[in-house]
Amino acid sequence: MLWLCLQFPFLPLDVFPHEEGAAVAVERQQVVSANAAAMRAGVRQGLGLSGVLGLVPGIRVHERQSEREAELLRTLACWAEGFTPTVCIASADELLLEIGGCLRLFGGLEALRGMVRAGLEAQGFEALQGIAPTPLAAQWLARAGDEEACEDSALLRQRLGHLPVEVMGFMNAKDMKTLAALGAQVLGDLLALPATGLRRRFGAELPLRLAQALGEVPDLREAFVFPERFAQSLELPAKVEHAGMLLFAARRLLAALCGWLGARAAGVVECNLLLEHEDGMPPSVMTLALAEASADLQRLERVLRERLEHFRLEAPVWRIQLRVESPQTLSGRSLGLFGQEAALALAPVIERLRARLGKDAVQALSLVEDHRPECASAYVSRDQAAGRQAGKNAGKKVVAGRKSRPLWLLPKPKLLPECNGVPQRGGDLLRLAGPERIESGWWGQDEDATGDVRRDYYVACTARHEWLWIFRDADGWWLHGFFA
Amino acid sequence: MSSAAQPLPTLQSVLQRPDVWRGDRLAQTSDVLASGYAALDAELPGGGWPRGAVTELLADGAGLGELSLLLPVLQTCVKEGPLALLAPPFAPHAPAWAMALPLSSLLWVQADGAEIAWAAENLLASGALGALLAWLPAQTDARTLRRLQLAAEAHGAPAFIFRQAAAARSASAAPLRLELGGNSAGLTVRILKRRGPPLAQVLHLQVPRPCLRMRPQIRQAELKPLPRFSAV
Repeated sequence: MLWLCLQFPFLPLDVFPHEEGAAVAVERQQVVSANAAAMRAGVRQGLGLSGVLGLVPGIRVHERQSEREAELLRTLACWAEGFTPTVCIASADELLLEIGGCLRLFGGLEALRGMVRAGLEAQGFEALQGIAPTPLAAQWLARAGDEEACEDSALLRQRLGHLPVEVMGFMNAKDMKTLAALGAQVLGDLLALPATGLRRRFGAELPLRLAQALGEVPDLREAFVFPERFAQSLELPAKVEHAGMLLFAARRLLAALCGWLGARAAGVVECNLLLEHEDGMPPSVMTLALAEASADLQRLERVLRERLEHFRLEAPVWRIQLRVESPQTLSGRSLGLFGQEAALALAPVIERLRARLGKDAVQALSLVEDHRPECASAYVSRDQAAGRQAGKNAGKKVVAGRKSRPLWLLPKPKLLPECNGVPQRGGDLLRLAGPERIESGWWGQDEDATGDVRRDYYVACTARHEWLWIFRDADGWWLHGFFA
Repeated sequence: MSSAAQPLPTLQSVLQRPDVWRGDRLAQTSDVLASGYAALDAELPGGGWPRGAVTELLADGAGLGELSLLLPVLQTCVKEGPLALLAPPFAPHAPAWAMALPLSSLLWVQADGAEIAWAAENLLASGALGALLAWLPAQTDARTLRRLQLAAEAHGAPAFIFRQAAAARSASAAPLRLELGGNSAGLTVRILKRRGPPLAQVLHLQVPRPCLRMRPQIRQAELKPLPRFSAV
């Protein structure tokens, strides 16, 4: 077993919008987290509010919002599921990931740590990493800011020995004072003392914890239960009036989604971003659609960005929620030998086009067995799968194709003017071939459907040598296509 | 230091470089796709449609055979990736396309205005297309075409851009520009711009046509007037 502890020292501040200047989060008038600018000015954890204002008069002070921190941490846990199936929420600002089983998959410890760090950075988080064979030791290393991995349990006693006693974090102030009076400043001092003496003086918890950290006593952790249906929400730090400002928060949710999907070997074709407004207005829904099922964060982000650019908010948004209705299992993909890569590379572009130009902007063609020209093509928006299916059948039904058919078809035939009974288009039209009788669709009932047609089709040529497909029916001459 | 040691390139050696072409002869490029028309290949630099470049086809109206001209090369391109029809003037008619190309590799993209150029650039930049056929508005400016040319160059797919014949007068970054017209024998092609000497004569190509396939020329005498329309 190898545990990676991610400790988020700035989590109380991460729930608020990032700002350049000094900022602190306070709870009961005491600093719980201070950003880098505040730290430079000398603000430390535990400092009183009046002291902070004395140090940095213009500092931004946020009242700590524990509920939103917990929400954020759950989102992060979902994201971490992309790395390992065992994730625990160890405390209010710590996640524990069991990584012993997945090191090989990610190419070793250093590679995995790099990926974790990069993933957090992209979402705007900073975390201290502690790595040890026991969960408690990993937590303590992270709290002390000791990021060097300790993979060997034989070295644990030595590595923990250097950490200050404050990292334990569960003892009350009186006991801490007693420890200081004893002269125990680092954990090594405590480990050197006999456990019975410690128990008598400080109760049973201290020797138990020490033994758990060293791996002598089992330390059972409650694993984070991943939601079966993904519907994570984030409360925004401030009301947002421009869609572009949702990007940052939405990206955190997408990262969580991708981790969640990764653990299920699933992908999404469509997910909904619910933008919740105040005053009981129904939430706006922004649908992110992909060309094929995917769990790729970058692709989802690109689609999100395109959508946000063109999205107009009806009212300020205070909370966003990401929902997935039907994740699809991704089939394992072997690397393509010929040709398949092309389809893979095209899918992200199709998504971008759809996101900007509209859902039906990109369509595939397929054949329909119908003699009426208007009904012979189907434009399938729903992905190439359908088109591929039609492609397979294309060889079989070229019955209609043996006759001459134009490459361009007018969706609705256009009435041609007529002079002495001869149709006109920049002069008299000349007949090249025809007539070909097309008579079908007597079953059609609806008004706007093509319905029953009885037409004589001709190939005709204009004076400018444009080849047209025209037909005559009871109502006159009609232009229907171009032999381009 | 090293520049002093190297001999100065002579004019002859510079002229031998593959990326240098002289204005009085056709550029020598090997990255071309045969057009399927010998008469056209003979006049195109390298002997075919350029790959990784924008080719402009200027024509007014539809039905001259402008797509039939491209069908042979598209049949080659489709082996490398899907074909995108971007903002065509009309809806593609599946039975006709199915005779020439596998339908599964056709993408019909609808866009209008400035979005067409944006979509064209994105499609080219994906590097996954077999070929791009785009119908750009006549007022597309030279900068947009230059961007498309760069995108095509970087990713190696041929891009065929259809525009109105009026665009012939405006500047364009496309290395090859053709003006298409029709006559009784088939399609006429006037090369407006190529990497080579200007070509005065007009090429006459016989593109496949829906009927009269056997007859090279349509004689006026063979044309029958359309039957008079009489009320039923």
